[in-house]
Amino acid sequence: MADSDEEYVGDVTEDEDDLQVSKSDRTRSGKRKQRGGAEWELSRTWETLVEGADGTISSTVEGLLEAGKRKRLLKDTTPLQRGIIRHLILILDLTASMSEKDLRPTRYLLSLRYAQEFVREFFEQNPISQLGVLGLRDGLAFRVSDMSGNPTEHITSIQALRTQDPKGLPSLQNGLEMARGALFHTPSHGTREVLVIFGSLLSSDPGDIHQTINTLITDKVRVRIVGLAAQVSICRELCTKTNGGDETAYGVALNEQHFRELMMDVTTPPATYSEKRSASSLLMMGFPSRTVEADPSLCACHSKPSRGGYLCSRCGSKVCSLPAECPSCGLTLILSTHLARSYHHLFPLINWVEVPWNRASQSSACFACGLPFPAVPPEDQWQTTESHAKGMSVSSRYECTACLNHFCIDCDLFAHEVVHNCPGCQSKSVRVSEHHESEGMDTTA
Amino acid sequence: MNSVDASEHYDLATTDLAPSLLTIVFDTNPHAWAALDQSLPLSKAIANILVFINAHLACNYANEVAIVASHTQKATWLYPSQNESSSSGTASTDRDGDLAMNGSIPSQTNKYRPFRLVEEQVTKNLKDLMDSTSSDDVRGNTSTMLAGALTLALSHINRRTIAWAEEHGGADLEDAAADGAAGTGSGSARHSAANEDERLQSRILIVSVSGSSDSAHQYIPVMNSIFACQRLQIPIDVCKLSGDAVFLQQACDATKGVYMALSEPRGLLQYLMMAFLPDQRSRRHLVLPTRVDVDFRAACFCHRRVVDVGYVCSICLSIFCEPPPNNECLTCGTALDIGDHGTKPALIPRKKKKKKRVNGTSAAGTPMSTPTPGP
Repeated sequence: MADSDEEYVGDVTEDEDDLQVSKSDRTRSGKRKQRGGAEWELSRTWETLVEGADGTISSTVEGLLEAGKRKRLLKDTTPLQRGIIRHLILILDLTASMSEKDLRPTRYLLSLRYAQEFVREFFEQNPISQLGVLGLRDGLAFRVSDMSGNPTEHITSIQALRTQDPKGLPSLQNGLEMARGALFHTPSHGTREVLVIFGSLLSSDPGDIHQTINTLITDKVRVRIVGLAAQVSICRELCTKTNGGDETAYGVALNEQHFRELMMDVTTPPATYSEKRSASSLLMMGFPSRTVEADPSLCACHSKPSRGGYLCSRCGSKVCSLPAECPSCGLTLILSTHLARSYHHLFPLINWVEVPWNRASQSSACFACGLPFPAVPPEDQWQTTESHAKGMSVSSRYECTACLNHFCIDCDLFAHEVVHNCPGCQSKSVRVSEHHESEGMDTTA
Repeated sequence: MNSVDASEHYDLATTDLAPSLLTIVFDTNPHAWAALDQSLPLSKAIANILVFINAHLACNYANEVAIVASHTQKATWLYPSQNESSSSGTASTDRDGDLAMNGSIPSQTNKYRPFRLVEEQVTKNLKDLMDSTSSDDVRGNTSTMLAGALTLALSHINRRTIAWAEEHGGADLEDAAADGAAGTGSGSARHSAANEDERLQSRILIVSVSGSSDSAHQYIPVMNSIFACQRLQIPIDVCKLSGDAVFLQQACDATKGVYMALSEPRGLLQYLMMAFLPDQRSRRHLVLPTRVDVDFRAACFCHRRVVDVGYVCSICLSIFCEPPPNNECLTCGTALDIGDHGTKPALIPRKKKKKKRVNGTSAAGTPMSTPTPGP
């Protein structure tokens, strides 16, 4: 726990801006991650509260809230080649250590709940990906649900674990070997990933886990681990080696919220490595049409009678939901809308920038929702308000650099996290059409 | 679960049903309205929509409405007017903002105030919009800014949802904020059915007249908005007066909204009242008019052909009807591995046959092992 000692003795002011400053916090947390995955630190939340001019702390609290929102937003928006087609195995630790109650209600129940949310979110973000779930219990790895693209199957089988009790010791090696076996046949154009939720501090393995790690590296399987107790050396080594030296793949949850964030981070498709690691390829896919029949017939996937369904465009078998792989001919069947769902990963919305007071007078209300902005104060007060904010904008305005409109923090968050559109850019085609015209002029001239 | 994490007592507070927010995206493309002039002129359509809005406002005293115009070159607010007219605020000044907007106020003094406010602002803003449209704007452009209008509508819904949750108990606030903003998860899952009723019920109605031919560059933004609606459980209803748009059908299908292509535009008001007035709560008990045959076909990026079986680039997800020349993706330029396409199926090697014979002699003879006589 060298970390905690250092933080405790360390300068108080450093602690202070750690809470408020998101940018510098990122570099610092990066540093910390190099030292270890544990992000435990002492934070003196009471010291950041400064009374405002009116004697209340409401303005500071609001500022902190806004900075917190903003912190989630500032992410890298360089368009990377991402592995949109993913194959992921979720390994759940179901051993005795999961019955601890440090995460409410218990680690076991919480991780099962988050696992269900994870499955739903994973397919929301990666509609054409495949997922499988394994469990670790009594020194063995067992299959919770098979590799498939149907979220409801996984959710029901995770739900079924709820009635069972965690027991025994985990074997990381058994889990990894089983995951490797499940991922072995997956095509090379997709990613192969393993996410382990690990609550134990040990792994009782039948053989040498280092050999398993080496085979994982040769099979290009990337392992990410969310620890619930404390950092474990072998987990760190495993994540670092399988992710090409990237240490951020291992995180230890501080609390429920952090646990959730760590898990949900994994739903974003990872950037692809250099070409030799994952070969890009052309995939044959079917775009089936929907049929509604007068009489119910059996579907090929579950053998259940149903009226509606989709007919495979190659062999004509009926499947009841998409995306799916045709059970008889193996063609990937999807809707074009499923592809469109992934486009926001490929064309991310640029981050909006903070607006200083000297440019704030351009706008009085948020362009998108009409929320009035705070009025511009006299020039001599600019400095005082500026001191307590860096992740957030002093003037509460955020500007899209493309359309130069100003937005409030809620719309900023909403546009980047949910809609993935800029309301300003989409509302004015003048720029676009001018651009097109000028292009057209150039080609004719 | 609720009994364990002690959030149960929040659910007991259900007393009043949440009001609903109706957001209308009104397509004001002059080309399309000119084409419709014989059966349904714009002025008449506006009158019908205003009656419909009044009906919606009359359903519940707390119901809200918002109207976005999706014009040829921009998307803008018709109600509540946000920018120029209300420089110092929004909702509060809208409520109080009874500036003289037209000369006919004396005749309207007996009108229910929310009706009058909506009517005045909509007509004024629409007039401003039409006045600001020059013939140059219209000439080269027959599309409509649907993506922008939807994004504006969604931002407004987000704002109103947060504000409403703030007013009505902080318990919902975090959920709503997490739901609307975080996007990292929960979404629908965290809300029980009871909780659904406590939130502001939002829905979007698109009154569309333009065709979809020219909106290809809007494809991604429109789809993004549709997925956002899906995630926030906001149904998109479409009232299609002319033309046909694939996007909109998919939007309704994805968000479980009502799609109606009107065969008789003159009956607009009746269609609106019968099909689009019920809110989400009532819709659970109704059989909704919607289409079953949704157009899901995909068009390839190379020839715009409609394909059944296509090839998809694993990097950028572009769709091609045949392997592109030089095995290079036309969109992102990645060298693509064609994979097994075009290769002949693997033949069974002869060795196996021998093995089988050995097996056949040792174990019980399978019918496979006996050589079949030629014909």
